[in-house]
Amino acid sequence: MAGMLAGAHHPGAGAVVLFSGEVRETNQGRAVAFLEYEAVVPLAEKMIGEILAAACEKWGLPIALARHRVGRVDIGDVAVVVITASAHRSEAYAANRYIIDRIKHEAPIWKCEHFTDGTKEWGNNCNCHAVTGDITKHIYE
Amino acid sequence: MKIYVYAGLKDYFLPEFELAEEVLNIDQLRACLLAINAQAGKLLSTCRFAVEDGFIDNTYKFKAHETVIVVPPSSGG
Repeated sequence: MAGMLAGAHHPGAGAVVLFSGEVRETNQGRAVAFLEYEAVVPLAEKMIGEILAAACEKWGLPIALARHRVGRVDIGDVAVVVITASAHRSEAYAANRYIIDRIKHEAPIWKCEHFTDGTKEWGNNCNCHAVTGDITKHIYE
Repeated sequence: MKIYVYAGLKDYFLPEFELAEEVLNIDQLRACLLAINAQAGKLLSTCRFAVEDGFIDNTYKFKAHETVIVVPPSSGG
C-alpha cells in the first residue's frame, strides 16, 4: 500500500484519496478467522483496468490505481486498495467510490469467509439481479 | 468444451471438467450444467459466462473446443 501511494502523486493533483478494504473480525454476528479470496485473475485484471480507465475519463483523473489480493487475508490485513488523484477532492472521492463499487459488484473475485467455529462459506455475493432482474445491471447505492 | 467454475459453484461441480456434448450458446450450456447437477440451478441462474476475451451474452455462439468460465455473482472487496 505504501508503494502504491508513493506512485499516486501528480503535480496537477491537489487531492489524493486512498480506500483500503480490510478484513474485520466479525461479519453478521459471526466471528471471522480469516478470508480467502479467489479470482479469475486475467479477467479480473482486465476488468479492473477498464474500470480505472472509465473512472479517469469520467472525472478527468491523472491517476487511478487499484489492487486486489488473492489467497488468504488475515484479520486487520488489507484485501483491496483503491487510490485516486485529482485536482480537487470532490472528483477523487467520487471516483474512488465508483471504482470500489464496480470492483465489488463486477470483477470476477470472490471471498470465502472462514469462521472461528471451523465453518466457512462463500459470502455476501452481489445480489443486484434480485432487484434489477438482470445479472449485468447493478445498483451502486 | 472445457469448463472452469469458481467460488460457490465448486460445491456442485469439479473446479474444471470437460463437457462431452457440443453446446451452441449460454442457454444450452446452462441446461447441460443443470443436467449434471440440478441443485446448482439457483446459483447458475445468477451466473455470468466468460471466454478468453471476456464476458459473453446470450447471443454468443461458442466455438468448437472453447474454454468457458462460469462466473458466480462477485463478492470481492
